Amino acid sequence: MSAAGKETQSSIANRAELLPALKQELGKNGNLSKTVLTSLADKTGLPLNEIYGVATFYAYLPVAAAGKNIIRVCGCLPCDLKDAQGVIGSIKKELGIEPGQTTADARFSLEQVGCIGACDQAPAMMINDTLYGNLTPARIAEILKSFK
Amino acid sequence: MGNMGRVKLNIDGTSVKVREGTTILEAAAVHGITIPTLCHIKDQLPTGACRVCVVEVEGSRTLMGACHTPVSQGMVVHTHSPKVVAARRVIVELMLTAHTGDCVNDTNAENCVLHNLASDYQVGAPRFNVRAPRFYPAEEANPYIVRDLSKCILCRKCIRACSDIAGKNILSIGYRGFRSKVVTGFDEALTAEACRDCGICIEHCPTGAMSAAPGFKARKVGIVR
Repeated sequence: MSAAGKETQSSIANRAELLPALKQELGKNGNLSKTVLTSLADKTGLPLNEIYGVATFYAYLPVAAAGKNIIRVCGCLPCDLKDAQGVIGSIKKELGIEPGQTTADARFSLEQVGCIGACDQAPAMMINDTLYGNLTPARIAEILKSFK
Repeated sequence: MGNMGRVKLNIDGTSVKVREGTTILEAAAVHGITIPTLCHIKDQLPTGACRVCVVEVEGSRTLMGACHTPVSQGMVVHTHSPKVVAARRVIVELMLTAHTGDCVNDTNAENCVLHNLASDYQVGAPRFNVRAPRFYPAEEANPYIVRDLSKCILCRKCIRACSDIAGKNILSIGYRGFRSKVVTGFDEALTAEACRDCGICIEHCPTGAMSAAPGFKARKVGIVR
């Protein structure tokens, strides 16, 4: 039997529970820092690298130091055709950050993500759990103001 | 076991009889036909990540991965037909595109199975331009292992060897798409604390992305196929 086959029943069960557990930790801590993932590794018996691998696969499980509000601009084709780049440009102008970066006051993180399923409202973005569709570069400042 | 559980098939014009559940790769090997592989580890569960083992199966819509396709009764397989060779050439070319190692000019190029395969299949310089090449600085945090992830083709052999053979589980795939990368811990350097001198990943790595540090010559890159 291979080493993988010798895995304890509990660590296999924990693997199945990993995504819900990551989501729960994210809700509790706001992000998935090394401390959070290390304690999750201790709790589940899964290696830290495996948990990190799973978390980094998903755009909605931020492992980097994330800002209080995470802006996710859809990077897929329909949004791109409807000037998602203009939206990103406008966010850049307002906050002074590029996709992948967090503002110095840690209020906002900006990310460009895969399709968020709002093609009918392209270009679209999400701030935390709220969807903003039919965006124009001019609307960005007003939307961001509501988070200040 | 008599004829029970035996499967008869044809590989490259030769009639072959093997046990049910055998893969095309294993059946071919028994009869002296070599199908190239990069991600396959003998006697371990197949990964099917690299695709260089694809073969033509008559009646099948697509080419099949020989390392993970079990034989079936009456199957007719071509392991080196023009269609197969053309596909393999592009598969190797695509991997070379993301393989920013220096094996082209490197005197240690015999360590790079991908380089040898490219040479066997006369692939030449890749046609494709990667907008953001997968480049990572070589990492020498470990006294035993040098990691140069620019050479990595994401075949996952090191991960499987580490977890399924050595039972250590130090390596995983992190991120996704072009950013995919073999990670340790919280995507940290592979320190001696995390990984000692078992060297199993070095033996399994087909491209020299994991190699023995100078002064630690116990292990040779890519000797396990």
